[in-house]
Amino acid sequence: MPENSQTSQRDLKQFAIRYGFLIVLFALYGLFSVLEPAFLTWSNQFSILLGIAIYGILALGVTFTLVVDGLDLSIGSVAALSVMISSYCMVILEQGAVVSILICLALGAFVGLCNGLLIVKMKVPDLLTTLGMMFLIQGIQLIPSAGRTISEGMIMENGEEALGFFDYSFLYLGQGRLFGTIPIPVIVMLVIALLVYIVLDHTRWGRVMYAIGGNPEAARLAGAPVNTYRIMAYVISGTIASIGGILLVARVGVGDITSGTGLLLDAVGAALIGFAVFGVRRPNPFGTLVGAIFIGMLLNGLTMLSLPYYTQDFIKGTVLVLSLMFTFALAKRS
Amino acid sequence: MTQPTVEVRNVAKSFGATQALRGVSFAFQPGEIFALVGANGAGKSTLIKIICGYYEDYEGEIRIDGQVAHFASPQDAFRQGIRTVHQIIDQGIVPTMSVAENLALNDLLDPASGVRYRRSLIRERAEAIAEPLELQIADWDQPVSELPQSERQLISIARSLVGQPKLLILDEPTSSLSTREADRLFEKLDQLRQRGVAIVYVSHRLHEVERLADRAGVIRDGLKSADLLRPIRSQDLVEAMVGELETEQVKPSAPKKQGSVRLELRDLVVQPGSPPLNLKLRGGEIAGITGLIGAGKSELAEVLYGIRTPVSGTVLLDGHPLQPASIADAIDQGIHLVPEDRSNRAVIPQFSVNHNLSLPFLRAFSQLAVLRPRREQAEAERMVRNLGVKCSGIEAAISSLSGGNQQKVVVARWLQKRYRVLLLDEPFQGVDIKSRHDIIHYLREQLQDEVVLVLAADLDEVLEIADRVLVLNHGRLMGEQDRDALNRPQLLEWISTTTLIDTHA
Repeated sequence: MPENSQTSQRDLKQFAIRYGFLIVLFALYGLFSVLEPAFLTWSNQFSILLGIAIYGILALGVTFTLVVDGLDLSIGSVAALSVMISSYCMVILEQGAVVSILICLALGAFVGLCNGLLIVKMKVPDLLTTLGMMFLIQGIQLIPSAGRTISEGMIMENGEEALGFFDYSFLYLGQGRLFGTIPIPVIVMLVIALLVYIVLDHTRWGRVMYAIGGNPEAARLAGAPVNTYRIMAYVISGTIASIGGILLVARVGVGDITSGTGLLLDAVGAALIGFAVFGVRRPNPFGTLVGAIFIGMLLNGLTMLSLPYYTQDFIKGTVLVLSLMFTFALAKRS
Repeated sequence: MTQPTVEVRNVAKSFGATQALRGVSFAFQPGEIFALVGANGAGKSTLIKIICGYYEDYEGEIRIDGQVAHFASPQDAFRQGIRTVHQIIDQGIVPTMSVAENLALNDLLDPASGVRYRRSLIRERAEAIAEPLELQIADWDQPVSELPQSERQLISIARSLVGQPKLLILDEPTSSLSTREADRLFEKLDQLRQRGVAIVYVSHRLHEVERLADRAGVIRDGLKSADLLRPIRSQDLVEAMVGELETEQVKPSAPKKQGSVRLELRDLVVQPGSPPLNLKLRGGEIAGITGLIGAGKSELAEVLYGIRTPVSGTVLLDGHPLQPASIADAIDQGIHLVPEDRSNRAVIPQFSVNHNLSLPFLRAFSQLAVLRPRREQAEAERMVRNLGVKCSGIEAAISSLSGGNQQKVVVARWLQKRYRVLLLDEPFQGVDIKSRHDIIHYLREQLQDEVVLVLAADLDEVLEIADRVLVLNHGRLMGEQDRDALNRPQLLEWISTTTLIDTHA
């Protein structure tokens, strides 16, 4: 008899590790729907998704660096840099949307390349490299506009008026809705999520990245160019972060100097919460997406139930710490 | 006979499915230098760790002065008189502090000692601690970082002798010392012996053991294989470390197919200072290279696998120079390596059996980089069947398998695709007999005209698999023998001879 109850206990634990997180997600969903009928409307679903789209995208990028057992802390500032540079290109340099976007993507990739080279070639620890890069870029993004927010028709330092503008097609990326309902940033997030999923779970590149994260020496002896892959992870992370920044400008139509604040923690939080989904205990794109949705839904629901806005960070932090405890402590004992 | 100061009785310890120690007994007498010897992975360091309190759960018992002792932690073992000086000298000292502060470190850290920051007291303590070893200290205020390695080590040893040590354990103490520094250490050890301290000396430098030890214990495969008294001959040590064991021998399941020469080393200098190697390996044969730690086996494998650039000389594969630009290039050219140290260098612990198998050949399992799971699974099923890997299925986590079965997977990884040269570096470390036999059997069965080169320190292991045995000693090829015409004493002589040793170059 004791053996039986032991196995059933173990089964229960396995079940809790695997589905516990999703069960909590759906339970909260149900709870909010009952308490506040407006929660369950279609328009609210899209507003939740729109709310998470930007940092969800950043989180998908940072997932790559987590997969190779690193972490990119510069993503928030890369997104902010992308906000300022694209605004500067369009409003002050009077360039078109396509050129501006390409410049931002190239910059994001370049920052990732620098991160990767510092980590791989100069052996600077990943957290320190990307933390340093974060400060560096936070400084750089202030320089073009002399520390001011860039908006259409602003008066520049030399007293001239800026003649450039965000053109309609660019703003559509942030404000448009497909079929009048689905916000474009949400679609971009889902497409990126799908691509990341395919790359990480269904191509040899993804497999090698996971192998490097698991045992870099074994991966190297199996012929994997470990350094190249690690650099690539940071390049991808930087590039995806700059996509996030571009969508952010397009949504607000202003190059806001403070726009990057908070993106980093939300994105890294979502990716780490993703470890708990299905109890896989490793970074994975599906988990990252679910983690972002979880945070978005929770904040949306609690706000509807008139939770004060200043408690939001506390809630996010609590969810993150709880899910990390859940992932590592519970799974370790099994 | 005097009562031993410290004694271990039937000590055994396993890690998961691997049995590192299988019941070992030794007695350490006062005033005796006891050398503990064994090949890598034999269980030496596990035994040392048990004696100095790192592991609480083990079988058997440790006795101090006849009383059963338990250590809750290394600190507890220290208090009970077990003192260890670790291989890495700088772990025992604080480089930025002065000589006096380092010597008096334990008192400095102990608020009750009252020494604290009073320099005169620190100096007084330090002198008292340095005295038994008769250390000649020129400048007590000099930072230790300015001293040579041997001085740092002596400071660390002096500190470990404070109080009444029952047992002083020195783990590879000469590994970073020059010859002269080592001589100085030996003199000090002689003094300690005369003072009646029991010393355990762990080393793989056999000439040191010959010279220094009163008694030598040899561990092999988790068991005591010899307990020798002075005079100790290195040949006896080697015999006990790698020599004959009553294991069931595998008969070569296929007659030797002597093919033509496929791999040839010409005047290959593997690392600076080592003599040139000349060697011809034929297709269809399994050649084994044996030799002690530091003989240069792994380094040779690294050259062939494209990890290490040789100093000079050439490697010819099928008549063409072989110079892999990278590991990937080596694999493309058909050089496969099963590396030493499975868990750190071969297995991806989070991966399934299936994914561990396919790792080097993902390109073959994918189209436009997209993996084709059916192909991958079919191949994994085939290899798991061929080698008789015991697992709940190819999707089972590799970490759920026993050590021997994990090793089968690692070997299978490199046998699934055609190769020209297969290098197996210590393939049987921590692998049970059954798995060993399965691996050897399959290796022979699939062998056609490829070259297989096995590198292992254990002579029996090599003889179990190889048609031909070659002996490396300090980078020099001492000689070779066919398995059909073995002269074991000659082999042991080649392995153990120390006459050509360039000590601590």
